[in-house]
Amino acid sequence: MENGTTMKNKIKVHRAMHNLTQEALAQEMGVARQTILAIEKGKYDPSLDLAFKIARRFCVNIDEVFVYEEN
Amino acid sequence: MKQNTVLLIAGIVGLIEVALFWVSVVLREPLIIIISFIAGILLIYGAKRTISDRREDERSALITQKAGARTLEVFWILFFAVSLGSLVMGFATPLGIPPPPKPFPRVPHDEPNLGYFGLLQMVLLFGMAFLYIGFRLYYARKYGEWDDDEE
Repeated sequence: MENGTTMKNKIKVHRAMHNLTQEALAQEMGVARQTILAIEKGKYDPSLDLAFKIARRFCVNIDEVFVYEEN
Repeated sequence: MKQNTVLLIAGIVGLIEVALFWVSVVLREPLIIIISFIAGILLIYGAKRTISDRREDERSALITQKAGARTLEVFWILFFAVSLGSLVMGFATPLGIPPPPKPFPRVPHDEPNLGYFGLLQMVLLFGMAFLYIGFRLYYARKYGEWDDDEE
């Protein structure tokens, strides 16, 4: 989000594929639902730890969920 | 311990501190409120460590961290400015900071000035608290604390 870069993510898509609500994913990750919502909306970039946990939950590589883009 | 229980304990401690402050004023003994305030804060911090239903994660920790850092960043300027103003009062005498008169004035003659200094400090501390709350609200909004979506 800074220095002309953006972090996009496909959590919403993967959640839909796994039929998971934000609340359910948040509970599994040990964070608040607002955190998942903020990540989905691009308002908060998760830590590497959380990003890997989310990717593992969806059984995909981290770059399939999170995309680092330079503007 | 539940978070609400800790809040209740904090409220009770606050009330006790107010009563002890009054006792301290009546007995003219500042040590009572100084020691009891430190003890009260330690008690609250100790209780906070036992919270079992805390809903804190990395995003809320970031909000707290950023708000705290920004508060310090702004507050030291305010504190420095007020301290400089106070120094002017100290140096604004023909011979710089005057030595204490001998014998040093005893209570109650010199007490009001110290008391007003404490009042100034309290105003600054409340200013710091308001700054922190303001920054906290700003960062909470920035990191989507009150956002909602279709779910």
